[in-house]
Amino acid sequence: MTHSRLTVLRPLRLLTLAAAMMFSVAHADEYADVSQLVRSGKLPEALSKADQYLVATPRDPQMRFLKGVIQRDSGKTTDAIATFTRLTEDFPELPEPYNNLAVLYAGQSQFDKARTALEMAIRTNPSYATAHENLGDVYAKLASQAYNKALQLDAANPAVPPKLALIRELFSPTGAKNQRPVAAAVTAPVIPTPLAAKPAPTLPGPVPGKPAPAAVPSAAPVVAAAAAASAAPTPTPAATPAPAAANQSRDAEAAVIAWAKAWAARDMKSYFAAYGKDFDPPGSMSRSAWEEERRQRITTKSKITVKLENLSVTVTGNNMAVAKFRQDYKANDLAVSSRKTLNLVKVGDRWQIVKESTGT
Amino acid sequence: MMPRWWEVGMHRLHLSTWFLALAIGCTANAQGSSPKRGTKPAAPAAAVAPSTDGVAEARLIEVYKLIGHAKNREALAKADRLVEDFPHFQLAQLVHGDLLAALTRPLKTFGDVPESMAINARPVLAELREESQRRVRALRERPLAGTIPSQFLALSQRSKNAIAVDASRSRLYLFENTPGGLKLVADYYISVGKAGTSKYTEGDQRTPLGVYYITSNLDPKSLKDFYGSGALPINYPNVLDSKRGKTGSGIWLHGTPPNQFARAPQATDGCVVLANPDLQHIIRTVEVRTTPVVIASQLKWVAPQSVRSESKPFEDALLGWRNAKTSGNLQQVLTYYTPDFNSNGKTLAQWTPVLKTEINQTQGRTIQLKDVSYLRWTDASDTMVVTFGEVADGARVGWTKRQYWIHQNNQWKIFFEGVI
Repeated sequence: MTHSRLTVLRPLRLLTLAAAMMFSVAHADEYADVSQLVRSGKLPEALSKADQYLVATPRDPQMRFLKGVIQRDSGKTTDAIATFTRLTEDFPELPEPYNNLAVLYAGQSQFDKARTALEMAIRTNPSYATAHENLGDVYAKLASQAYNKALQLDAANPAVPPKLALIRELFSPTGAKNQRPVAAAVTAPVIPTPLAAKPAPTLPGPVPGKPAPAAVPSAAPVVAAAAAASAAPTPTPAATPAPAAANQSRDAEAAVIAWAKAWAARDMKSYFAAYGKDFDPPGSMSRSAWEEERRQRITTKSKITVKLENLSVTVTGNNMAVAKFRQDYKANDLAVSSRKTLNLVKVGDRWQIVKESTGT
Repeated sequence: MMPRWWEVGMHRLHLSTWFLALAIGCTANAQGSSPKRGTKPAAPAAAVAPSTDGVAEARLIEVYKLIGHAKNREALAKADRLVEDFPHFQLAQLVHGDLLAALTRPLKTFGDVPESMAINARPVLAELREESQRRVRALRERPLAGTIPSQFLALSQRSKNAIAVDASRSRLYLFENTPGGLKLVADYYISVGKAGTSKYTEGDQRTPLGVYYITSNLDPKSLKDFYGSGALPINYPNVLDSKRGKTGSGIWLHGTPPNQFARAPQATDGCVVLANPDLQHIIRTVEVRTTPVVIASQLKWVAPQSVRSESKPFEDALLGWRNAKTSGNLQQVLTYYTPDFNSNGKTLAQWTPVLKTEINQTQGRTIQLKDVSYLRWTDASDTMVVTFGEVADGARVGWTKRQYWIHQNNQWKIFFEGVI
C-alpha cells in the first residue's frame, strides 16, 4: 500500500492527500489523546498510539510531528531526526520541523547542520520567531567555536550545547485547556466572526524575546518560561475606555478582519492595501521582493482559510494599535496554527499594518 | 533579548568601522589601491597543477572588502567556505567568529572574543590582530610597479629568481629574473623570529638580516611535521656574518605544521616561515645555489635605472681588479684586497700564492667576467656580494667565484674571495 503510493499519478496522490487531511482534521481528538499521554509521561504508549494512527494516515504532518517530539523526548534522537527530516521533505513550507531538526542537531553539537536547518525555517517563514531565537543561539555558539579555533583553545573549552526551543506541537492548542479550534471551516472558506475583542485570559503574558509556541508546561525552557509568566499580565486596555478609543479599537479590528478576508480570498490588491507604506517586510527583504513572495505563496494556492481566534486589539497611543490573535491558516495540504501580532498605524481614516510578527 | 538577524543591519556600520580601524590598521581614507597579489606571468602552455599559493589570503581579503562595504551576509558566506577549506587558518576563524557574533550582538573590536575566552589567550589574540594588520598593510602599500629592492644592483641570467623579505611587513617577495629585469611575481605573508631580526648569536630566536643564497632543498619526507611542506636552507652565517662573529645555523625558509595554516608575525626560532601552499610554490619555482634571498628589516624599493648610476663606482672597482689581474701585476692586484682578507681561513699572506698561481695560468690573456651579479648590503658598513664566472680568453673553463667587497675610505676592496 505505502510503496504503491510512490507510483500513483499525481492527481490521485493529491486526492489521497486531501483525504488524509480531511481524515486527520476530523479526528482532532487523536492529537489530544497522544499529547495527553506525552504530558503524563507515558511516552511508549504515546508513541504506539501515534504509530497506530499513522497506519491509517501515514502522511498526516501533525501526528508525524508529535511522533518526532515523542521520539526526541524518549532519547531516540536518530529516529526523531529521521522523522523531522522526512517532514521537511514532504512539507517544505513548514518551518517547525526544520526548527526541531535544528534543536536535535544542536543537541549533538552539530551546529553547522542546526544553522542550515534554522536558516531553512526562516526562509520558509521569515517571521518565525522561535527559529530566529534559536538561530541567534546557534550563531553565538558557532562564533564561540570559531573563536576557539582562532585562539586554538579547543581543548580548554568543553562544548556546552545551547538550549534551543523545541516546538512541541504543530497545531498548538490555544491555551492550558488544550482546546483545539473545531476545524469545520476546512470546507468553508469564510472568515468566522472573531471572538470579542478582549484580552485573551488563557494566553500567558508575553515574555520578552521568548515566544510561547505551545502552552505545554514541560521540559522545554521556553515553554516553562511562558507558563511561569502569569505574574506578567497582558497589557489590558484602559478600564473605562473613552468612547473614542473604543471606536478606534473597533476600526482597527475591522481592518485586521478585512486583511484576513483579503488573504483568504486571495485578493492580492486588497491584501497589499492592508499594509501601510511604512510596512517593514520580514528579514532584509525589500517591499517589492516581499510582495512578490507573498503573491507567489498566495495565488498558487487553490484554497486558503484564515481563521482568527482570541483577537485582541489594544490602541497603544495616538493612532497606533497592536492586534494579537491566534491564526489558524489552512491552504491546500498545509495547516499551521500560530500566534500573531500585527502593529497597526492609522493613516487618515485607515488602519494599516506596519509590522507583522509571529509569536507573542 | 537576542537581536534577530534582520535587526543586525544596525551593527553593520559598527562592524565596518572596526574593520577600517583595526583590520586595516589605518583610520585614514580607506580608498587605497585594491589589495591583490602581484600579477603572475602567463601560465606556461604545459599542464601545470593549479597553484594554491596565496589563495587563502586573497579569499580573506575578499571577506574584508565585503565587510568594508557592509555586505556582512556575503562576507559570512565567503568566510564559511574559507574556514571550511582552511580550518587551521586562525585569522580566518577569528573573522568568521566576528561575522557570526555580529548576528547576535554589536561588535566592539576586531576579534571581539568573549572575555571568558580572551582571558586565556590574550597574546594569541594580539598576534592575530597584528597578523591582520601586517597582511592588509603589505597589500595596501604595495611597491610601485617596476621598482625593485635596492639590494639588487645586478643579477645575471644565471639566477632565474630572486627573493626579498621585508620583516617589518611580514612579507616575502618572489621575483622572476627576466631578460628585461626583475619582475615581481608573487608575495606572501611570512613569520620571522620570536625576538625579531638581526640575528647575532645561536639561540637568540632572531632572523638574520643580509644577502643570502638558498643552499639546498630538503626532502619533506625527511622533515618533522613541524616544518610543513618542505625547507630551503640559506647560507647563514654568510662571510660577512662570520667576520662579525655571528653564530648559529640552520636558518631555513620552511612551511607550517599541520595544525597551523600560518604562524604569528614573530613566532619562529629565526627561520622564515610561510604557509605550506606558498612555500610549495617557491620550492617548485626556485633553483638552489643561484637564488638570492635578501632579508631586510625594511626593504627600500627603487627604480632599476637609479641603481645603475649608483653602482658605477663599484663597477669601476671590479673592472680595475680584473684589469690588474689581466696585466699580471700582483702588487697592483693586492691593492684591491683588505688587510683582514680571509678566504675560508686563508689570510691575505696565505692567499697571495693562490693569486700568483691564477695570474700565471692566465699568462697575460684578458680575463673575462661573465654572468656578473652583485647585491649590495648596507648597514653599519657598505658591502657587496659579488658572483661571476672568471675565464681567461681562449680558456675552455674558468671558475665561478664569489667575492665580498667592502666600501672603506672611499674605496671598494675585497675581504673574501672563493670558488663556489
